[in-house]
Amino acid sequence: MPVERYRSVEEMNAAPIRVVAGDPFERFVRICRRYWLLAPRRYPCGVFRFRTIEEAQAARARVSREAKRPAE
Amino acid sequence: MDRDELLGLLRAFEQEALEYVLIGATAMGLHGIVRATEDADLFVRATPENLARLRTALRGVYPDDASIDEIRDSDLLGEYPSVRYYPPTGDLYLDIMTRLGEAANYDSVEKEIKLVEGIRVSVATPAALYRLKRDTLRPLDRRDAAVLAERFGLKDTD
Repeated sequence: MPVERYRSVEEMNAAPIRVVAGDPFERFVRICRRYWLLAPRRYPCGVFRFRTIEEAQAARARVSREAKRPAE
Repeated sequence: MDRDELLGLLRAFEQEALEYVLIGATAMGLHGIVRATEDADLFVRATPENLARLRTALRGVYPDDASIDEIRDSDLLGEYPSVRYYPPTGDLYLDIMTRLGEAANYDSVEKEIKLVEGIRVSVATPAALYRLKRDTLRPLDRRDAAVLAERFGLKDTD
């Protein structure tokens, strides 16, 4: 992790939080990849629109069920 | 969720100066609360200019996908504030929202910038994620809220 220098507290607060490789992002994509391997899916392609979050969540659950396919 | 595809999207968002904020499990993952997800959820600022940036960014990543044109201003700025985009790669999908209910939108969500592989990524703060998730009905969201509260010491007043 490199040392970072700031001229003020304001500058320090405005600086992005550094996410290094191997940290949360890498763990996140690794666990998603593992999930995909355990439960592979084939999604429909394209754009779908929803009026409410409830509509979107119902469609997500339906597609997730229907998209399951046997592991290759 | 393919690592390089996700990075490609985030890079394209930065290059096009898209005004967005990641919410949901992808945002939680960047805060160190890691669970699997199939999608990336994001709020985008609800302006025609910003939605044009979104389409340009997506075309940069998926140049042959004509369905990107179906992400319409008239939907996201009108009756359909939530659009789900399934790219042709089939490895992930995007939930793109201009608002959630009456209160939550790009402007109302506290955000911070994280650097991921050199890419500036706009992410909802843990407190903002907690507020988005704590009052929803979906059990998974309530579990997420509980984990956020525990990890970051958040309370209902946050």
